[in-house]
Formats: sequence, C-alpha cells, structure tokens
Amino acid sequence: MTRSERYGLGAAVLGHVALFALLSLAWSSAPTPPPMNKPIEVSLVDDVALDQTAPAAPEPPAQSAAPDPGPPAEAPPPEAEEVAPEPAPPKPAPVVPKPAPPKPAPKPAPKPEPKPDAVPPPKPAPKPKPAPKKPAAEKSEAADKPAVKPAPAKAAPAKAAPAKSAASTKAVATAKATGTNPKATKAKPTGSLLDDDFRKGLTQSPSKAKASEAAPGATMDAKAAADIGSAIRRQVQPCADRQVNPGPGASRIVVTIRLSLNRDGSLAGRPTVSDDHGGVDDENRRYVDTVDRNAIATFAGCAPLRGLPPELYDVPRGWKTFILRYKLPG
Amino acid sequence: MLNTDATTLSPIALFLQADWVVKTVMIGLLAASVWTWAVILGFFFRLGATRRKTAAFERDFWKAEDIDAFHRLHNESDLPIARVFTAGVAEWRRSTVGGQVDRGGTRERLATAMGAAVANEIDQLSDRLNILATVGSVAPFVGLFGTVWGIMRSFTGIAQAQNTSLAVVAPGIAEALFATAIGLFAAIPAVIAYNRFSHGINRIEARLNRFADGFHATLSRQLESEVRR
Repeated sequence: MTRSERYGLGAAVLGHVALFALLSLAWSSAPTPPPMNKPIEVSLVDDVALDQTAPAAPEPPAQSAAPDPGPPAEAPPPEAEEVAPEPAPPKPAPVVPKPAPPKPAPKPAPKPEPKPDAVPPPKPAPKPKPAPKKPAAEKSEAADKPAVKPAPAKAAPAKAAPAKSAASTKAVATAKATGTNPKATKAKPTGSLLDDDFRKGLTQSPSKAKASEAAPGATMDAKAAADIGSAIRRQVQPCADRQVNPGPGASRIVVTIRLSLNRDGSLAGRPTVSDDHGGVDDENRRYVDTVDRNAIATFAGCAPLRGLPPELYDVPRGWKTFILRYKLPG
Repeated sequence: MLNTDATTLSPIALFLQADWVVKTVMIGLLAASVWTWAVILGFFFRLGATRRKTAAFERDFWKAEDIDAFHRLHNESDLPIARVFTAGVAEWRRSTVGGQVDRGGTRERLATAMGAAVANEIDQLSDRLNILATVGSVAPFVGLFGTVWGIMRSFTGIAQAQNTSLAVVAPGIAEALFATAIGLFAAIPAVIAYNRFSHGINRIEARLNRFADGFHATLSRQLESEVRR
C-alpha cells in the first residue's frame, strides 16, 4: 500500500463516519410531526329524543285494525246510518277513518257530549284544570293518567282532555269510542267473522302502551339516553370519520368517554376518557393512547351539539354530563 | 439521544433493527464503500501527480543536451516515464559495450526493453482499478440480496402476525431497502471512478508509448552516427 493509498483510506473512513453521523443526527433530531386533527364544520340535524318518543307512533295500527270489521257488519242495519252523521263532526272524524264512527254512533257517543259540558266537576275536572295552566310537559303527562283511567268507564273525560294536548287526547278518544263499541254492537247481529273480544284487545292495547310511554318529558329513561347518545354520535360522525386509524385492530378498542356539556350543547370542559377500555388485545394495545386522543378530538372537533332535548339537560342522569362509548370507524 | 424508533430513517436505527444476514450484507457493503473511496482518493492523488511530473520530465528531457547527465539526474526516480527512460538507457549501454554493434538487433532490443518497461509501469498504475470495477458491478447485487432477504423476512412476519397491514411489514422493508441503498452508495462512485481512472491510465500509457517511440528514434539516430564514426 502506497502512501497516497494510506491517505485515501484514512480520508474515506473519516468521510463515511462523518456522513453517517450527519444522517443519523439529522433524521433523529427532526421527528415526523403527528398528523393534526383539524376541527370541521358541524352540520345541523333534526330534533331528537322527545320527538321520536312522541306517542303518535304506536296508535295508527290500532285505529286501522278496529274500523275494518265495522263496515261490513253495520251495512245491513239501517239505524246506524241515521245516527252516524251526528257523532262524526264532534271529534274522531279528522283522525279516525270514516267507517269507524258509525259504530259508536248508536248511543254512547251522542250522550257523552252533553255530560261533560254540564257536569264536568264530579271526578276528572278538578285535575285537568290545573294542568293546562302549567306549560310544563311534566305536569300534563301526569294529568294524562287520570284522564286515561276514567275513559273506559265513562266517556265524559275524553271531551275535557282535548283542551290539553292533541295527541294524547286523540288516543283517549279513540280508545273510549272503540271501547264502548262492544255494547252498541252486541245487540245487533253482525256479519263480521271477528268477535268483539278481538276488537277490544286491539283497541285497548295502544292506550296502555301510551300510558307507560308518556313519561319521557320528565326523566331520563333508557330510551331517551339512547336517543341522545345516537344523536350525539350522528353529529360527531364527520369528525369521527376524519380520525386516522393508527394501525391494525385499533378499531376494536372501545373507549368510554365522558362529556361535560353546557345547556347550549357546547362543551363545558375537555372530554375525559376513562382508563378501562374494551376490546384491547395484544395486537392493538399500543394504539390505546392514540385512540383515546382520537376520541377526544372527535368530540371536541364537532363540539357544539345541536338538537338535544333541553328538558333533559339538568334532570338526574341528564345530558349535563353524558357518558358515551366510542370506537374508531371501520 | 439517537432515535431508534421504527419511524425514523436513521441509518444506525435501520442497521440495528435488521436481520443478521442483512447486517452482514450492510457491513460488507460499507467496508466496500470505504475501500472504494480509499482507492479513489489514492488514484486521484497519484494520477494527478504522475501526470504533472510526466509533463515536466518530458519537457526537461527534450531540452536536455546530454542524455547521460540527464540520466544521472533521474536515475533513482520512481516516475513511470523515468523508469522507461532508464530501461532504454540501460539497454543502450548493454548493447554498445563491445566494439561490434548489431544495429538492427540493438534497435529491436531497445524497443522491446522500453515496451516492457511501459507495460510494467501501466500494470503497477492500474493495480487497484479492478477493485473499483468489482465493487461497481457487484455491490448492487449484494445489496439486492440483502433486500430480498429482508423482504422475505418481512413476509414471514406477516404470516406470523396474521395481519396484512402495512404497519407490520413497513419497518422490515425499510431495513431491507437500506441494504440496496448502501449497495448503490458504494457502486455508483466506484463505476464513475473506474471509467474516469481507466481513461486517465490510458492517456498515461499513450504518453509513455509516445515517449518511448521518440526516445527509440533518438537512440537509433545515435546508433547510426556512432557506428559510422
């Protein structure tokens, strides 16, 4: 090896060491920044929870079932036709299909009308009266219960009820009307294959179901909580879709996140994540922190939540602090 | 301080995470790169100096009045052109030592002796050039071997993890590709230097041959004038 080659070797070694040290330091000192999650626009959605639990839904099937057997049965007797026009105008006409009224017509329907007007006091009157004055839905629903009970016994309260809330009274009215039907039809022979008991069962079921469901305004039951939860999820979906999946299996991690909300739907504080996660296994354990951050970013990003029922804000277990389970999409 | 995370491109981190086969390939290629650059730098200095001194020698030679005096001056020089010159002078002296001179035979011997000296010098000059050629042609393949091995290992990793996600294979593939990167890093300068230095050596060889021919012509003229006398 000549002198020039020795010099060359020394210079080459030095150069390589210097180059690799430079590359190592340059790349290690400037780590790649984590991708930023930008907040995005919030899209408005329709009101939820209370509207969805409105009592209107369960009724229609009962109403359509009751009238069907009627017309063929009533067609032959001529008396029904005479009296039919009278009861029709008062109330059930708008909601209940035409064929239905003829049956209640014969006697019970016309009679009840004068009674409530003349003698409301006996039982239902004192209770309904305080109710209309208070605008709160809680009271009206409480008042509904007494109104429903007398209905089968007497037709009278049905007339007093309409003053309060349209939806509930309609159901009561139909319940009453159909409930009284049997008496009227029993006297006459009908051509219907369905006996009276069948019709009774059909018409009474909706009113019962309504009585149990009429409570959503006051307390946070499971269904209202589920509705609020799904409403929140729907609103944060755009933000959730933005989250980058950090790796395989990360979408199996279930994060329990706690939102503190203001009455207007904005966040009162940063969402917090509880320590116990679901769906964590060896494969995705290292992504837990990332998913936590994604969850917080999701709810913070689509922050002002709209359309949550205001009457459920401050009640026990209301959405003032709301706990949700979050998963990465996919 | 050094970040050995899989997400960095730090050469040291990539090396440390690699399989032992890939590590061996990387070390070998790194040594080849160092050696290549040593040869390149050595050649650079030597060829430059040789070219400069050769030009000066030739200039001085054609200006010189007395060849014997010039020979005494450059007797011990290790310059290729000086060695060719020394070989020619030595052959001249051996051939004209007696009274009878075979002019044709002397010319042939002079030409052969100086041609042999030129070939010898060029041989010595281009001694390390084959290293550059070898590294330049083989290093990419060696790096490719390391890469193929590393990628095979990554696929085995996929099979073990039961997961086709890119996150499983990406680090292994990055390490594997680093082997090819080092191979190219060694090969590219080697190929460039090989072409450049073989061209430089060809020029020196041509120059030595021209000088040998010129010196041979000078000695032939001298031979004729001396024999006629």
